[in-house]
Amino acid sequence: MAFYIARRLFWTLIVVAAVIAITFVVFYLLPAGDPALRFAGKNPNQTELDLIRHRLGLDQAWYVQFGKFIKTFFTGDQYGWPGLGYTFAGQSSVLHLILERAPRTLLLIMGSAILWLTTGVAIGVISAVKRRSAVDRAAMGFALFGISAPVFWLGLMALYIFWRQLGWAGGTGYVSPVDSVTGFFSHMILPWVVLASLYAAFYARMTRNNLLETLGEDYIRTARAKGLSERRVIFKHGLRASLTPIVTMFGLDVALLVGGAVITESVFNIQGLGYLAINGALTQDLPTVLGVVLLAAVAVAVMNLLVDVLYAFIDPRVRYV
Amino acid sequence: MRRSLRFAWMFAALLALAILAAGCGSKSSDNSSSGSSGSSSSGNTAASSSKSYDNGSSAKGGVYRVGWEQSFGFTNNFDPTGEYLGNAWGLYVNLLLRPLIGYKHQPGAAGNELIGDLATAVPQPADNGLTYTYKLRKGIKFAPPVNRAITSKDVAYAMNRLANPKDGGQYAFYYTVIKGWDDVANGKAKTVSGISTPDNQTIVFHLTKPTGDFNLRMSMPATAPIPPEVGACFEGKPGDYGRNVIASGPYMVQGSTGTFSSCSALKPFSGYDGANGNHIILVRNPNYDQSTDQYRKSNPDRFEYRVNSNADDIYAKVQAGQLEDEQASPQPKTIRQYSTDPNLKDKLLPNVGDRTWYLTMNMTQPPFDDIHVRKAMNYIIDKQSLRKAWGGPVIGSIARHIAPPVMYQNGLAEYDPYSTPNDSGDATKAAAEMKQSKYDPDKAGKCTMSQCKSVLMVADTRALDNRMVPVIQANAAKIGITFKVRSINGAYTTIQTTNKNVPFSERPGWGKDYADPYTFFGELFDSRALIPSGNTNYSLAGITPQINTEKKLGVTGNLNNVPSVNADIDKCIAKTGDARTTCWENVDKKVMTQVVPWVPYLWSNNVTIVGPKVTHWNYDQFSDGTAYSQVSVKSS
Repeated sequence: MAFYIARRLFWTLIVVAAVIAITFVVFYLLPAGDPALRFAGKNPNQTELDLIRHRLGLDQAWYVQFGKFIKTFFTGDQYGWPGLGYTFAGQSSVLHLILERAPRTLLLIMGSAILWLTTGVAIGVISAVKRRSAVDRAAMGFALFGISAPVFWLGLMALYIFWRQLGWAGGTGYVSPVDSVTGFFSHMILPWVVLASLYAAFYARMTRNNLLETLGEDYIRTARAKGLSERRVIFKHGLRASLTPIVTMFGLDVALLVGGAVITESVFNIQGLGYLAINGALTQDLPTVLGVVLLAAVAVAVMNLLVDVLYAFIDPRVRYV
Repeated sequence: MRRSLRFAWMFAALLALAILAAGCGSKSSDNSSSGSSGSSSSGNTAASSSKSYDNGSSAKGGVYRVGWEQSFGFTNNFDPTGEYLGNAWGLYVNLLLRPLIGYKHQPGAAGNELIGDLATAVPQPADNGLTYTYKLRKGIKFAPPVNRAITSKDVAYAMNRLANPKDGGQYAFYYTVIKGWDDVANGKAKTVSGISTPDNQTIVFHLTKPTGDFNLRMSMPATAPIPPEVGACFEGKPGDYGRNVIASGPYMVQGSTGTFSSCSALKPFSGYDGANGNHIILVRNPNYDQSTDQYRKSNPDRFEYRVNSNADDIYAKVQAGQLEDEQASPQPKTIRQYSTDPNLKDKLLPNVGDRTWYLTMNMTQPPFDDIHVRKAMNYIIDKQSLRKAWGGPVIGSIARHIAPPVMYQNGLAEYDPYSTPNDSGDATKAAAEMKQSKYDPDKAGKCTMSQCKSVLMVADTRALDNRMVPVIQANAAKIGITFKVRSINGAYTTIQTTNKNVPFSERPGWGKDYADPYTFFGELFDSRALIPSGNTNYSLAGITPQINTEKKLGVTGNLNNVPSVNADIDKCIAKTGDARTTCWENVDKKVMTQVVPWVPYLWSNNVTIVGPKVTHWNYDQFSDGTAYSQVSVKSS
């Protein structure tokens, strides 16, 4: 197992480096204009433009810039380790920016992940066990709604109903749990629910299908023939075997949301990593984009690794060599 | 043209107003709202509308909260030396900084009148316009942690900082007329030799040529005093001073406390979180003396600017009284609501922005290398339809020449060299012009030559562009010009690159930096300012084969006999007062009749929505936004 993890970690590093390189090249080759012009005022002369390009390091070949980025990443810069440089737009540390934004996104993901996993799997189980019943149809109706309803629409409706009309939620914006625990929960409950509704729907459908398939297996019939209780059959033998693809999906979904919860963050004014990345891309702020991409790539790789390791605990048939 | 956050969003925001205006004719009811004051009327003069709000209970105290959509969008991290965002200028000149020259923070022409701010008065030039001497007011101190009287050396330091390209100045070109400026810019000197400070209360500027708008240039935020002891901490680090702006105005960034001891002990002020895009909080400057300031009322105790990614949310909070003001793009439903609800109507405050939107024609590219074709385009374009595409009369007035009338103290208001019925285009006049063109050999009133077919038009990809392009295509087809449209997200980059040789674009707009037409003509038509990328003289006025070669512009086209107004610009630069205004008016007329690089079609308005706790609001013409120094808000 240790060798397996070490080998995976090595490949994780390769994947992250490749993602960063691709991002760098794509950004460098994008015909989005010269970032130096953004800082040069409206009537720059060539000397001023050259000076700005030099200051931003844009006067060097892309592979030189990339090499410097990688070197600084490992050795650190004046803002600490890992060295992510400073933003073109704000002249502020990318590392600090990410550290400031990351808790918002991570807490958003954590809360909604708990919600979607528990409700999605629970609905899927109930739906599978009560197949073709009213409960099943209602659950699948919910799933269809969750999958179909755009997050931005759900978010705006939730804000309108539960904040502006009923006053039950705290509204938009982010309140740190360090500042106010109640404020944190009252502001996060709507984004959690809205983000979770989409994923819960997927998970419910997937759990239902997997469980139905598993419950049709011979060993389930054997378990029942042995006289095991239905609860034990479903949860110990059925659900456990159905969970493997769910765990795979869960790992990837969580990782992808690290840089991808842009709409939820925008609608609820949470301003996390996704929002940071989008703004970075719109302003051609390469260091910011790279910082977020790096974090997202690491998240995807690490979550994949975790998922693979978890397989061994969920499914006894899985062995690592 | 300083960057404007609001204008980037404005067209979409005002769509609903247009719909409403269409439904109600073109009448405005500004002056019917109790508690509000303003004036506007139907038709084209609607652009001169200015609307304020006052419920008669202005008082000191309270917190003025502003929602700022998406991000602050600063160009230099709020460092005044290089900050070019118009909305940031609003904060600087109203609240934080006191340049030598200031404004009354009022709407309309009154808001463009100069007053002495840090200086005791607006000086008259001496030495045939080559010397400007400013006397500083006594009793004006820097905010904590500097806590000392401001001297002329602090102004000189700010100017030297601006001259040094390593410190990120973005409009230093306005000051190259100061002797020795270029030596600092080129690294040959450390200080500008043309700036002297004979004593702590006097600063003298020696110019290389008479510059009639020099006082206006000294009103811009980068010229406000910076304490050298703090500024030195950030030399060669553009933008870093933005976290520690030392105030000279009535407010300061929260966290500006204590006493300055060393650079290493100076931590970013807590009230500034602009780099992270979260908030800016301003509180009263304890060292500010109201008796030194005649025009800032400085009513609220505190200003809070918070970024919000959700424009809907901003307007909901404004309506609910959780915010007082916005730097955002109102959604059509919001505009509609405020336009129709009698209880909200007086909170919708449109004011004229000093900005022209225009179609640009590249005078080196056929068929626009023929002045008669360019004139024909001015006659044939249906400006009413273009304004309708933007949102209708409420969005602004039809533009008929280069700079808006307010730039001439409302001069040229009636000037309309290409008058057409109802501004909807005139096919007869256009055909008459086209007949004189080399592209109409048959004298049929239509271009029949291949150069007029599939002419490249670079458009942007906004919904607005999609509405404008068909209008332009249909109009131009009447005189035989057809367009091949290339829509590019961020079209400016393409049209600002000279070797792309873009013949025509519908994208451009231009706003003033300060209230002098030089900020239009000097930047838009002076061929000496041409550069290969980032160029703003899209029509290439005044280009010659020599300039093309020397500046490596890469223009391929008809470079012979492109009309120039360089000499006319130079004549006006030296003038002052009414003579200057008249001079610029004549340049405007010449550009419109002898150069004809554009089809100007819109002078746009700026719209603000305020919340129920606001007791006074008015527009600041200089910064094209809220006059924060004049507003007041209920304390509770």
